Amino acid sequence: MDNTASLLLEVFIETIGYWYVIIPTIFLGLIVGGIPGFSAANTIIILMPLTLSMNLETGLVFMVSLYCSARMGAGIPAILVNIPGTAGAAATPLDGYPMAKAGRGQEALAISFVASCLGGLLTTILALITMPILARVGFYMHSVEMVVVMLFGISLIASIAAQDMLKGLIAGFFGLMIGFIGTDSIWATPRGTFGVLELYDGVPLIPALVGLFAVSEAFIIIEKSSIIAKEGITEVKKPSWEATFVGVRVALTRWWHIVWTSIIGLVIGVIPGAGASIASFVAYQQSRSFSKTPELYGTGHPEGLIAPESANNGVTSGTLVPLLVLGIPGGATAAIMLVVMQFHGVSFGPSLFEDQPKVGYGMFMAMAVSYLVMFLTILPLSRYMSRVTTIPTIYLAPVIIAFTLVGGFVPREYMFDMYLALGFGVLGYIARRTGYHVAAILIGVILGPLLETYFLRALKKSDEDITTLFSSNIGNVLWVMLALSLIVPPLMDWQRKKKGLAA
Amino acid sequence: MPSENLKPRQQLGAELVIPVVAVVFTFYYFSTIWSSTWLAKISAFFIGGILLAVCSVFFLRCFLIYKRGEGTLGFATLFNRNDITSGRIGLLVTTVGYTVFIDKLGFTLATFLFLSLSMAILGRGKRLVLITTISLLMSLGGWAVFIYAFETRFPRGLFEDFMKAALANG
Repeated sequence: MDNTASLLLEVFIETIGYWYVIIPTIFLGLIVGGIPGFSAANTIIILMPLTLSMNLETGLVFMVSLYCSARMGAGIPAILVNIPGTAGAAATPLDGYPMAKAGRGQEALAISFVASCLGGLLTTILALITMPILARVGFYMHSVEMVVVMLFGISLIASIAAQDMLKGLIAGFFGLMIGFIGTDSIWATPRGTFGVLELYDGVPLIPALVGLFAVSEAFIIIEKSSIIAKEGITEVKKPSWEATFVGVRVALTRWWHIVWTSIIGLVIGVIPGAGASIASFVAYQQSRSFSKTPELYGTGHPEGLIAPESANNGVTSGTLVPLLVLGIPGGATAAIMLVVMQFHGVSFGPSLFEDQPKVGYGMFMAMAVSYLVMFLTILPLSRYMSRVTTIPTIYLAPVIIAFTLVGGFVPREYMFDMYLALGFGVLGYIARRTGYHVAAILIGVILGPLLETYFLRALKKSDEDITTLFSSNIGNVLWVMLALSLIVPPLMDWQRKKKGLAA
Repeated sequence: MPSENLKPRQQLGAELVIPVVAVVFTFYYFSTIWSSTWLAKISAFFIGGILLAVCSVFFLRCFLIYKRGEGTLGFATLFNRNDITSGRIGLLVTTVGYTVFIDKLGFTLATFLFLSLSMAILGRGKRLVLITTISLLMSLGGWAVFIYAFETRFPRGLFEDFMKAALANG
């Protein structure tokens, strides 16, 4: 124990010595995280020759810092212009953007930064302590359990769009059907592809994200001269640190909220393939379910911003656990890290902490130090970043369209993906104008292929016996939790209304 | 997201667009899996079935609203005069043009033309010098950061090829 503690301290001090790598990487991560289609994973791939030429420790610190800061960076445009940089930040604008529109962008950014840094830091420490236990979560999540986890995600669709649950369900299930486009995973039969070859691999996520959020939003914002009202512009342009301090105070006074929503992210992050998008929506829904003021969610409520931001940074720590302990990457960035680290001769798995403990602990320490450095360096930026909301929309909207549409092209280099992004833009515009939730469509598109894969796998393993979905103890517990999550919120709403009428 | 414009009567025509598209797409999807094996189509039939059921409930609700005279079959929340005056139609045309021509012109040139035209339409032809300057800076900045510095796989054209040759020759 003493040996481990002294080793951790040694690694921590060594990691701080890499400040000259961490600080520029943080700023790079904030930029790439904020641009749809330009994720941390893509950046590590683009900079692969550079990463491979670095020594092991520098490469490790670089990748981990980039991973953490890109996750946080994705929330910045989500708050300021309603465009999440990655799918993991898709729940952030639900309350972040209304704050920015009300001229509270600086405060919203400060809340987001504090929630992200503290959530990330806390889950890093927790992951380090509970690694042996958490690693077992991945072992117990088989296809049946994953089907229930996916359905849990789908149940959020109705909850998120609770203003009109019927429209929320239509949007979510339509998204799922779009997510089913492509060849099936067992027989490779094309389904719903309209004969388009580019859709055989399924609907690519980045064009869907770009279209539903960025393009549609650009067409909406041109109705006003700027994103925020004139009174808000004066507020934002006023040179004051007050809004930042207010944001920090608001976030810190909700420290318990940061703690439990980031733990949701950590646990979901440990499940390979589940990812930040599911975690942030689960955290948002749970936050609203247990809130005393659920009616404030969606109107610019700080807790509605804290929940997804803490959770998606919790995922960042969670994805490292199966990578380090089992050698199973929890997401795309973790998979790329695995490749780079293997190039340096690191073999992940149970023996890592015996053979190369400095590497294992070093990844967590790099994460902890990155969050600490980020907290100190990024907070002052909130004051200046929020000015984006004052840029006249006649300049902002075309820039958003140009740079995000081309971002849809980058991952696969198909011109078709730009047309697809435009198509999703039209769908997103219609949805926004007619009261359907674009986030519900997106979560459907994300979950569709995952749900189908696990569903088919479960049926295949059980000789097509559908009762297999109720054959596992963990699965059954999850079913009960799913049912409760669907029943409890309307019941609580009903009770609140009853109390309101009685009063 | 609810519409920000408060209408005295619900514009049911506009609200029905997405459910109708969803129903049409679901039937099309079913037609593509009809002859597949049971295992290949069960998940789609399950989810599609729920979608059709939910849409049916929605259609019924719209019918009842219409019967009560609380809604019309109009599309005003989707298309109205404001779409022309705000320059939205113009922006849509330039966006389609950008998507079509970026493959031929390359990122930098297409972005410059798209930004200039769109900003000029939205700005009603005012401040053309400022618009040209912003468009030039944004497109050249995009080229410098994404194509030159990070070698991102953006569509390449005349300008990118010229710059590549110019830089290669010192």
